[in-house]
Parts: sequence; structure tokens; C-alpha cells
Amino acid sequence: MLVLKGVAASPGVSIGPAVLLPGESFAVTRQYVEPGEVKAELQKIRTAMQKTLTELDACEQKVLSTLGAEYANLMSTHKLILQDPALKDSVSKKIRTEHLSAQAAIFLTLQELAASFDKIEDPFFKERRNDIFDVGKRLVNNLEGGKREFLASITKPSLLVAHNLYPSDTINLQENQIMGFCTDVGGKTSHTALLAQSLNIPAVVGLSTASKDVQSGDTLIIDGENGLLVINPDKYTLANYRKIQRELKKTEALLKTINHLPVITEDGHAIKLLVNYDPRTDNKENKRLITDGLGLLRTEFLYMNTPTPPTEEEQYQTYLSVAKRFDMRPVTIRLADLGADKLPDFPLDEFDQDENPFMGCRGIRLFLKNPELMHTQLRAILRMACEVPAQVKIMIPMVSSVEEVRHVRAAYDQALKEIEAEGKKPVNRVALGAMIEVPAAAIALDGMIHLLDFISIGTNDLIQYLVAVDRVNQEVAHMYDPCHPAVGRTINQIIQTAHKRNKKVSICGEIASDSKMLPLLLGWGIDALSVTPRMYLRVKNNIRNLNFETCSDLAQAALLMGSSEEIRNLIEQNDKNEDS
Amino acid sequence: MIQQDIKIINRLGLHARPAAQLAQTAAKFSCDIQLAKDDVKVNAKSIMGVMMLAAEFGSYIQVTTDGSDEKEAFEAIKKLFDDRFNEEF
Repeated sequence: MLVLKGVAASPGVSIGPAVLLPGESFAVTRQYVEPGEVKAELQKIRTAMQKTLTELDACEQKVLSTLGAEYANLMSTHKLILQDPALKDSVSKKIRTEHLSAQAAIFLTLQELAASFDKIEDPFFKERRNDIFDVGKRLVNNLEGGKREFLASITKPSLLVAHNLYPSDTINLQENQIMGFCTDVGGKTSHTALLAQSLNIPAVVGLSTASKDVQSGDTLIIDGENGLLVINPDKYTLANYRKIQRELKKTEALLKTINHLPVITEDGHAIKLLVNYDPRTDNKENKRLITDGLGLLRTEFLYMNTPTPPTEEEQYQTYLSVAKRFDMRPVTIRLADLGADKLPDFPLDEFDQDENPFMGCRGIRLFLKNPELMHTQLRAILRMACEVPAQVKIMIPMVSSVEEVRHVRAAYDQALKEIEAEGKKPVNRVALGAMIEVPAAAIALDGMIHLLDFISIGTNDLIQYLVAVDRVNQEVAHMYDPCHPAVGRTINQIIQTAHKRNKKVSICGEIASDSKMLPLLLGWGIDALSVTPRMYLRVKNNIRNLNFETCSDLAQAALLMGSSEEIRNLIEQNDKNEDS
Repeated sequence: MIQQDIKIINRLGLHARPAAQLAQTAAKFSCDIQLAKDDVKVNAKSIMGVMMLAAEFGSYIQVTTDGSDEKEAFEAIKKLFDDRFNEEF
């Protein structure tokens, strides 16, 4: 048994025999042609181009009817690449002046184009070289009289292993009995990954050596949940994954039926279930979700990859379209949490590279040193709130003291006064809350809660700071433990302190979608959870299957325990009781 | 000849779809249309050229149109940028 770790590109688990996609060497059979053959070679190219265009047309129609306009657009992009003057001119020039064969001319042109794309640093743009190769491959295939029969020759359900897979290959996978695929190269934003997600085929990419380690006929497990490829699994692993697979299938079917149902435990305790939202990766599936609103809009992306900070107008437009996307439902925007691993390209005041960036100048600390950045963002959010009926909330990241909250309050009041002087007024009062992720703020919350309208617990950083563990450091990563008694007690203390003042508490960290921690979070009295769209229905389903009274008992018991092990046992025991 | 810098204000930059729109629009005009960013200069009628600019949100593109319909071509291209390529976002 061999386990390879890659990037989870499309969720789900597939088990089956491997088929290896033959390597795509552009076999250039003949490098040069005689001067007298040039005309014939040019004609060959024209015919192949025409044929490829017809193919792409058919493909576009098929994609349009199965996957929708978004993906059909990809095919029309491929048509444009095929008709691109840069491609045509270079190919015919190479044939005419260098007397290269049609194949060789295409091959060299593609290589030149790929070299230009390889120079690009941004992974999103770099990936586009694959689209060009995809078109080139079709073209060469048609030049040789159409040999892409490999996928069509697969007769039983299989898992495909390839060095690289082009989007056009992906589209035909399902009707060719491919139940999952993995590749050596590729990232999460590749078109191949996006298509796999929309087709609901599990996929793992970026495995580096998969196509070398796998032989055709090997039994494979593609674990698109965790980004793993298991080659020739042992009996135990296989049985375990079959069980996971059955459960996933059951849940998938069930999940679709609960979209319109309320988020409520079986004994009638209701909480709000919100969604963490990233406008850059929104899709049809996400839009179909019926949610209680937006729980966390991270705004750092507005500040990244840009030579100047985003203007008020740019931000206003973005926030406005986010709010419109969520209609009448509440929208929570976090002030930019810059610093640490998110450093913008433009210069910031009083900012030197920190030696220990996670404990350095980030979040609200950085904004307080660059007040004009905060002022602009506050104005943009408040202006948006004048235009929409939704409840708008602003969240302050990395708060550690009441003084910081006071400063942000003052900046908020100032921005609001300006906007009112301009003759506008927010439809609803805009709430100002804090993200509690620094232990000091959690412990001394009673001293600042009167200045805050709501609390959101950022558990990812809170746990990291509480147990002093950097999750990226492999030596200590295993000590990052949501079950640590200190984590539960801190979360509970935050909730109780806020509730004494009638302030609501939400959680927007990975812990919110951890099914093991869910009963405890509910039991401690959490008011809202915010999770990624992909986890939304799963979490909702878990909540609907819980009993609030049992959760409360469990949560109280956990507070008295002194070790992670005891707490973990408690949760597992409870799981077993529920199953039986 | 018309030459002007235009700022990219759509969030995703000149990725595949905007690049396609740009190349398609440019192809409707007979004049030469050139885009430049940093040291890279490309033909706007070539979708691959446009993608090669790797022009992200917030960056500036120098647009040059040169020929009989240069004015109309420039207006049409500027409008695409200003309308954020009709991105939902």
C-alpha cells in the first residue's frame, strides 16, 4: 500500500481499478518537408483547424446543455484560441519560411507560447497555458486523422491517472466510465479541477509522481475530501473507505432534501447558520443554498496584488454587490486582516517585516497605524449600508484590548458623521463587533463587551495562540488540538460573558464545521456558526440530528475535564450512544 | 493614434473570459490595437496575447489604437474595462 498526498480538487471518494492515460508526447514523425510540399502542409493545417472548430462547436453545445453557460464559455475561449492570429500566423510562417512540417510547426509554436506563460508568476494566469495545450492537442489529433480513441476504449468503471488532464478530456470523462481522476500536476484553480467539481467526480491533483507510481489495473482509492491517493490499499483501509463512501453517498442524497428546512435541533433549539463567502469562488451550487446570511466576508483580497490600496468607490461597489447577492439577509464584513501572511504590495506606514509575523503588526494593529486605510474601508461599508435593507455588521480582527475597540468606535462614529453630513443614512444601524482570537481579549472580554454589538470567535487563530502552536510547523502541528480543555473553557467563557450583556456570539473557524465539536459548541450556548458553502448542508444536517438537552449536559461535563483525551472519549461515547 | 493607460477595475483581472471579450471586440475593428503592461506588448486581437499580460486587478494597461477606426476602437475597448467586463463581481 502506498499513500500519496496531493491537493483535493473535487470532493468525494472513489474506489476502483486504475487506467493510465498514455503520456502525451507530441510524436513529431517528420520534422521538415520539401519546398514543393509547403502548399500541401498549409492545406493540412487549414483542414485540421476547420475540423477542430467543428469539434469545439459540438463540445460547446454539449457543455451548454449539461453544465451551463459558465463552462460553455470555456469552450468558446478555446475556439478563440484556435482562431487566434498569433497561433495561425506563427504556424504558417514556420511552414512557409522554415519548411517545417505542419505537426512540427504546431509543436514549436505551442512550446514558444508555453514558455511565455511559464514566466508568469500569478498561478491563476499561469494555469491558462493548459487551455492552449488543450487546443493544440486537439489540432494535432485532427492532423493525424483523429486518434483520440483512448478514453472511448475504456469498458468498465475505472479511475483515471494522468500526468496532466486537459479540460476537454474532463468533459468526456463520465460517459467514458471514469469515476474519479488524479494528476501529477495542477492546482485548485485549474479548469480541470473546476470541471471535476461541477461534474461531481472526486479528483486529486498535484500528486507529482502518481503517473509513475501507478500501474494500469492497480486498485486505487481517490480521496477527494483529504487530497489523498491510496495505491493498492490493504484490507483494513479498503473496508474503511468503503464505509466512508457509503456514508458520503447517503449524506449527499439526504442533504439536498434539507435545504429549505430550518436550522434547529431535534428538540427545537434554533441557531443561525451563516456562510463564509468569497465572491471570487461563488458558483451556481452556492447560490442555491438557503442560508441565514453572510457570516464572514474576508476583505484582504481587495488589498492584494494591487499597487495601490482599493479606493472607497471600488470597495463600495464590491460590498454593494455582495449585499445584493445576499438579498435581505445579514452581511458581516471583517475589516481587512492584513499583515502576518497577507502583506499587500503597496507601502504601509511604520511597517517593517516582522520576525514573528503572527504576533506582530496585523489586523486592527496595522489599521490603527494606517488610519486612512481604516477610514476608507469604514466609509465604504457605511455607504453600502445606506443603499440596502440588510442588517450590515462590521467585525474588527485581532482585537487584544479595550483601547483598540475605543479607537475603532471613534473612527466609526467619525465616518458615520461624515456620511450623515453628506445627506445619507444607513437603512439599519450598522453593528460593530469584534473577532475574539487573541487569548487576552477572551480573558478580559468583560472590560470591552459594553462597546461591542456582537462577538465572533475566530477559533483558528484562538487555538493557535492558546496552545502556542504554529499549524504549519510539522514538529508541533499535532499539538494544535480543538479538544484541549483550554479551548473549550475559553469558548465557554466568551459566550457566558457576552450573554450576560445580551450580546450574540458566533464562531467562524474550522471548528464550526467539525462534527465532533458541534455538540459542545451548541451546549455552551453558541448563537450562530459560519461555515464554508461546501460544508453548509452537512453542518445543518448535523445540527438537525442533535438534541440540545444532551448537548448541554455534554458541554457542562467537558468543562470539568482536564485532558483532551477525556474530552475526546466523552464525544466518542456520545456518538456511539446516538448510533445505537 | 490614440494612446492611454486604463486601470483594471474588475476583480478577477484579465482572466480567460474578459480576455475573450477583449479579443473579440478588438477583432471587429480594422485598426491596429496594442496592449502593453510592464515590458510586454501584445496584439489585442490575440486572446493568448491578452492572457499573457497576466493583468490583475488594480494594474494599468496601456492601450494604443492606430488606424482608420482608431477612435471607435478605443471607445469600445475603454467601455469594456469601465463596465468591468460585465463580471457579476
